[in-house]
Amino acid sequence: MDAVIEGFRLVAEPDVLIAIFLSAIYGLVVGSLPGLSATMATALLVPVTFWLSPIAAIATIITASAMAIFSGDIPGALLRIPGTPASAAYTDEAYAMTRKGQAELALGAGLWFSAIGGIVGTLSLMLLAPALAEIALSFSTYEYFWLAFLGLMCATLVARSSPIKAIASMLLGLLISCIGMENPAGTPRFTFGIPDLLGGIEPIPALVGVFAVSEVMRAMATAEPPKLPDRKFGSILANQWMLTKKYQWPMWRGNFVGIIIGVLPGAGADMAAWVSYAMSKRFSKEPEKFGTGHPEGLVEAGASNNASLASGWVPSLLFGIPGDTITAIAIGVLYMKGLNPGPTLFTERASSMYALYIIFILANIIMIPLGIVMIRLASRVLRAPRSSVMPLILLLCAVGSFATGSNVFSVMLVGVFGCLGYAMEKNGYPVAALVLGIVMGSMVETNFITSLIKSDGDVLPFFERPVSSILAGLTFAALLWPLGAWAWARFPGRRRRTAAAAE
Amino acid sequence: MQLSDRITGGMLVALGAASAWSGSLLPAVPGQDVGPAAFPMIIGFGLMGCGALIAIGIGRSFEVDDLDEPAPKTGPLSGLRVLIPPALLLFYALAADTLGFLPTAAIMVLLGAKALGAKWPLAISMAIIGPVLVHLAFYKLLRVPLPPGLLPAPW
Amino acid sequence: MTKTTRRTLLGAGAALTAAPALAQARWPVRPVQMLCPWAAGGGTDAVVRIIATLLEKEVGQPFNVVNRTGGSGVVGHAALAQAAPDGYTVGIITAEICMLHWAGLTEVTYRNFTPLGLMNNDPPGIQVNNTSPYRDVRQLADAIKASRPGQMKASGTGQGGIWHLALAGWLQAMGLPAGHVRWVPSNGAAPAMQDLAAGGLDFTTNSVVEGRAMIDAGRARSLAVMATERLGVFPTIPTLKEAMGIDYATGAWRGIAGPLNFPAEARTAMNAGLDRVFKSREYNEFMNARGFGLSYADADGFGRYMAAADVSLGDAMKSAGLARS
Repeated sequence: MDAVIEGFRLVAEPDVLIAIFLSAIYGLVVGSLPGLSATMATALLVPVTFWLSPIAAIATIITASAMAIFSGDIPGALLRIPGTPASAAYTDEAYAMTRKGQAELALGAGLWFSAIGGIVGTLSLMLLAPALAEIALSFSTYEYFWLAFLGLMCATLVARSSPIKAIASMLLGLLISCIGMENPAGTPRFTFGIPDLLGGIEPIPALVGVFAVSEVMRAMATAEPPKLPDRKFGSILANQWMLTKKYQWPMWRGNFVGIIIGVLPGAGADMAAWVSYAMSKRFSKEPEKFGTGHPEGLVEAGASNNASLASGWVPSLLFGIPGDTITAIAIGVLYMKGLNPGPTLFTERASSMYALYIIFILANIIMIPLGIVMIRLASRVLRAPRSSVMPLILLLCAVGSFATGSNVFSVMLVGVFGCLGYAMEKNGYPVAALVLGIVMGSMVETNFITSLIKSDGDVLPFFERPVSSILAGLTFAALLWPLGAWAWARFPGRRRRTAAAAE
Repeated sequence: MQLSDRITGGMLVALGAASAWSGSLLPAVPGQDVGPAAFPMIIGFGLMGCGALIAIGIGRSFEVDDLDEPAPKTGPLSGLRVLIPPALLLFYALAADTLGFLPTAAIMVLLGAKALGAKWPLAISMAIIGPVLVHLAFYKLLRVPLPPGLLPAPW
Repeated sequence: MTKTTRRTLLGAGAALTAAPALAQARWPVRPVQMLCPWAAGGGTDAVVRIIATLLEKEVGQPFNVVNRTGGSGVVGHAALAQAAPDGYTVGIITAEICMLHWAGLTEVTYRNFTPLGLMNNDPPGIQVNNTSPYRDVRQLADAIKASRPGQMKASGTGQGGIWHLALAGWLQAMGLPAGHVRWVPSNGAAPAMQDLAAGGLDFTTNSVVEGRAMIDAGRARSLAVMATERLGVFPTIPTLKEAMGIDYATGAWRGIAGPLNFPAEARTAMNAGLDRVFKSREYNEFMNARGFGLSYADADGFGRYMAAADVSLGDAMKSAGLARS
């Protein structure tokens, strides 16, 4: 108990509180700019942390990353430009709600359930860290392969399109992820002699291109849509309690899935959001409403997203293995400040650990008021004329993609992906599935190839280990679903119902 | 840009065949049984399968038409207007180093705003204020080096 | 809101510039990009980030670390060699640069860089899962000798990477062909240690520090270190010579370099800045805290060091059959 009180004392220091507040604002602003990721927001803080006390340094990283992940939802919901690959899963849903005049409900749900997810994730970190660490350590490349494959199958569940076209889009994403030398053999593939392609294609320029640029392209071809009804922005949180009660189950499922996926190094928030959104649709009582501006998926995916962020710290704190790029940066800061990761951190430095938990919870609590201010400010974009917003978005796309690689080639890449995204949307190919393929590509291939190397080309070990056999079973169930659904839809009586539901 | 499923499916089959074929040409890695060829070949065959299914119209019944698609703009060359944003990005990539960030961005915003039907006063004020704000945010707050070119920022 | 943040950061920036800056030199007038050919979270990334942070203090401009990963380090090294030699792109280069070209994976060699300073050297260790039956390195060596070729699996880095070569060198020193233990390419040491703990591998040959958190957590054990003497931070781990009488030592070194034709002014300033960074209390504390080995050479010394390493690593690779050119 003394350690808890000491933890509170450590957090209550003025420099820690100031650090939390300022890095919260910083994270919100950076996260909301299209094309800038939460990773970048965190990386830019590292030099600043050098002059801070250990607790304040960790506080800035935790707070800024949590804020940036939430505020990545803002441009997604308002302009259909996801801020992070994580929010790409439910961008279309949130944007559809904005089109229905429910922007504040969509963003409020993002905010409220992100905060809940973050707090539940922190509680899991506090209470279950050793048990969760066991899960992470039972994952070898075989399990990761199935997990990644399962993640890919989510494309078919998310899309409001033909599952075949969704799979084709996803495969196209995987093919794009083959470009370059980022493969286990280190052999250049599909580079066409262009040196800039050796490094492969980053998800951020692709994400910005297929969503943001293609949106600007569509604006060029269509007349200005009728203005949204000039509704007063009421209380953002008013309806969230109702949603919490209505979608309690999806919320808890989202938290749970987020925690499990979060503790697996390399999977992280991106995959958690996809899997949760897909599960939400799969188990919903009204799946036909998904994609038309229905908050249920947002509830589950939003909670999952931030829960995974907190539980992602488990392998980092216990074994020094980064869960994602953000925790990789955080591990460096931990070492720099003498808080070496390892089980001893939980016993010998218990007060620092409690301070860390308190910061997590504090960050998720102040996210609510600061997020409300941010949503109100950002919503003004909806009232501005399209001809002033769209050119600025295009400029941000150019600068943002330049920022990730400091390379003009990525600016051109954004343009290419804009054309690709535009053509795909016109022909009914979901672009979100393409992004999923690009994000997951290297994880699928690395774990597939290294597993084959380890098993001397034998496929049996893919099914032999206990966890991998369960994951393999789940994967085949997901794989067979589109076939089953297709047969179902071909059934004469059913077909009429599907058509009716589509309207 | 709206093509029939037959054409897009056929394109996917061709793409899949190309990737499987060029994947199979990749050299093996000494000391390893599984090399860089395996993954592109699997994807290639997958794409060929999906393309064929799409071309014969399987799965069409799942597709939902976007009901609230805004009315398309009419007029000459309206189809080519969609290419303005990628063209502006290309212009940025080619001109930013020589012209510098501020002039390039200003031209980009001005042309973009005019293409979307903004009035001159709005377009010009956007072209002046927008790049300055973006430059401040990226150069000062995020420390992204932006090309100075002909007109370096005064800060 | 934005304003407050910007001011705060500017305040922090002003504090940085207030630190001893080079009064006479004009370089650098803007932020410097620092390339890292390895993924965020690995050992090289940690070293480059601390160097970048301290250089920022010494030189007065931000050093922004950019991870350009992939292709067993080829991509990042090539990116640095091909960068504009304007003094605003530098990077960390690692022992792999004296190996990749021997394997025919790249045209880039150490001669394509302007050396600026050697900052660190880490010898490889031999790590097993904590539940592994091998109590010491002699037992593991006996098991390897008794195994079928390719039956045992080891990892630690990408195909043909430094720890792959360390394995090959060790096997050769035992009189076995280099391919007797199958190498499983991984994207750095962290995934390899994770897979070791998950039971997917027999052992890893990455450096001891890269597996330190797993060892501290009681999930892995380090059986030996391939160095001439024991490590200061891990005094209980025997050297190969002590444990099984094999005199084999190698290491992963890291240094800072720029592209060829690096401006002389920037080179002088970087050389002086790195010298002060290496001597700084913060660098020594950080490196010791993380268990990284401290080795230093100035710009010219680093050049000679790399020339020698290129020959010895090349010889090792040729005899191990890993070289193609």
